[in-house]
Amino acid sequence: MSQWFLRGIKKGIKTEKNFKDKYKPYYPSKLEGKSDYNCPVNAIKNGEWDENKCIYCGKCDLNPTKDEKIYKINDAMPEMFKKSFYIYPLDSGTCGACNAEFNSIFYPQYDANRFKIFLSNTPRHADALLLMGVYTENMHDVIKNAYDAMPDPKVIIGFGSCALTGGIIGSSINEKFNVEIAGCPPSPYTIISAILKYKGDIK
Amino acid sequence: MQSFNKKNGRYIGRYKNYDAYLNKIVKLSGENEGDINEKLPGEMVFNYGPSAGGLEESVNFKIITPGEKINSVRVDSSFKRRNIKILNNNIYDALLKIERINGYHSASNSICFLLAVENALNIENNESNNKRVIEIELERIRSNLHIVKGLTESAGFSVPEKQLSYLIEEVSRIISEAFKHRYFFGANYINNVRCNFNNLNENILKIKKEFLSIYEDLLASKIFMDRLQENGTVKDINSTGPAARASGYNYDARLDSRSLFYESYKIFTMNSGDVFSRFMVRSDEIFSSIELIENIKVKENINKDYDLNKSGSGNARIESPQGDLFYHLDIKDGKINDIIMVSPSYINIKLFEKAMRGNIFTDFFFVWESFGIWISEKEVNFI
Ligand code: SF4
Ligand code: SF4
Repeated sequence: MSQWFLRGIKKGIKTEKNFKDKYKPYYPSKLEGKSDYNCPVNAIKNGEWDENKCIYCGKCDLNPTKDEKIYKINDAMPEMFKKSFYIYPLDSGTCGACNAEFNSIFYPQYDANRFKIFLSNTPRHADALLLMGVYTENMHDVIKNAYDAMPDPKVIIGFGSCALTGGIIGSSINEKFNVEIAGCPPSPYTIISAILKYKGDIK
Repeated sequence: MQSFNKKNGRYIGRYKNYDAYLNKIVKLSGENEGDINEKLPGEMVFNYGPSAGGLEESVNFKIITPGEKINSVRVDSSFKRRNIKILNNNIYDALLKIERINGYHSASNSICFLLAVENALNIENNESNNKRVIEIELERIRSNLHIVKGLTESAGFSVPEKQLSYLIEEVSRIISEAFKHRYFFGANYINNVRCNFNNLNENILKIKKEFLSIYEDLLASKIFMDRLQENGTVKDINSTGPAARASGYNYDARLDSRSLFYESYKIFTMNSGDVFSRFMVRSDEIFSSIELIENIKVKENINKDYDLNKSGSGNARIESPQGDLFYHLDIKDGKINDIIMVSPSYINIKLFEKAMRGNIFTDFFFVWESFGIWISEKEVNFI
């Protein structure tokens, strides 16, 4: 194993202090401007744009800004989670991209562990349940059982347009979310930014 | 809907009650998948999933075991089945949903769907096909890196696992720079691709160099090789994609699909059909995909409006990262009247079930990861 250790050291530090701005995606990001396009998910209504409904398809005249702050924090994080925040992701009915983007926050470039954000292998040890994908009948009880198994206090994070509003695919998972992270799928920039904001680590 | 009752060509998979062969779609008469084998005295059924640490998607495994050995396993993928309203949608509304059948293989699905539309409505697609090849090969690189990473994770090799994670993210960034979205959403149109390949070759060569050094280190690791060799062996004529090529079958839609033809592509096969062979085929394909991207010439985009308010039937088959992906469409006055989609995960799940028989629990994740199965594409019900 020491050989691997040396090989790892040789490559140097890959974690980015401030994730490189130049790699922020156009979609999803905050959209700006005006559009009367007939949005396929009704994300534009009376001139107002709804970031949770938007699937960031790029078909309308709204302009992507690369600003990753497309999330809503609906209450304060329980104080005890600020030292370590364990998240259990649960796939209700995703296309797979939400799963992949959530996992990417633990990749070396982002290394979410350094922000005291961790992945939990079981809901029993989780502080937050992160729900992604559309509502599916067969996952209904699985989600309920996972929620019941979590210790108090419990946080629920709605992740991606499918979970928040049903997106283009189906119906939303009907939960009251403490944190809403928009995107189809949310980018790692948005995910980390949302959790840091919830933790109170950024303004 | 087109349906025939005679098989023709090799088997490429199932959607609902249709079996697809290279040249035919056959309607099934009441076959079902069967239930898990009866357990024998001394055996127990061990349930794993649908939601558990270590599983990327929701899926359940019913494992019959007397203890350490696995006598049989049945994959229940139905938990996250999505009903997707697509019938009567126009082409571009339907495309938004097709992009999200399997987000990790979104380029493959969107392109295969559009090729089927172009086939149905007799639309020439010369200008965009090479750009589409670049998309699919970038997607293949990321998908194969993801699987090799999964194998190192199963072995508890966290250094190469992190190195491969790093490369996956770098490929996502390359895709994002070229297509404005990390999963190609919104990039594909009828005979058109939203793309910018300015830094593509330079960036992709960095991936090649980095992967080569990880690959050589993995090959030099006797412990890693021991975990892969003679593990999860399966040889089945009804195979697809890298799993087929790892057991000696030279199946690859890049050689024989009518829509996207790769002239210079040379197929790489192995013979033993174990996790090691699948690792070798996938690693080789990372290099060959990079080579294809390096050498491909793209044509200028033409911005043309196409009349899509027409009717017709068409199909397309391409080599998605994990095997044959097939779309058959019936379009009426510009709307989807009927659709059949066959993804490689149907066959790969069957292969996984066969490969696990007689193996032990510690091999489970190696074998699962080695097939690159996506439940999202398997459990789609178009309505
Ligand atoms: S980007 Fe697409 S989903 Fe979002 S508002 Fe524009 S048209 Fe609607
Ligand atoms: S929100 Fe978008 S990326 Fe996430 S599961 Fe739904 S369709 Fe896929």
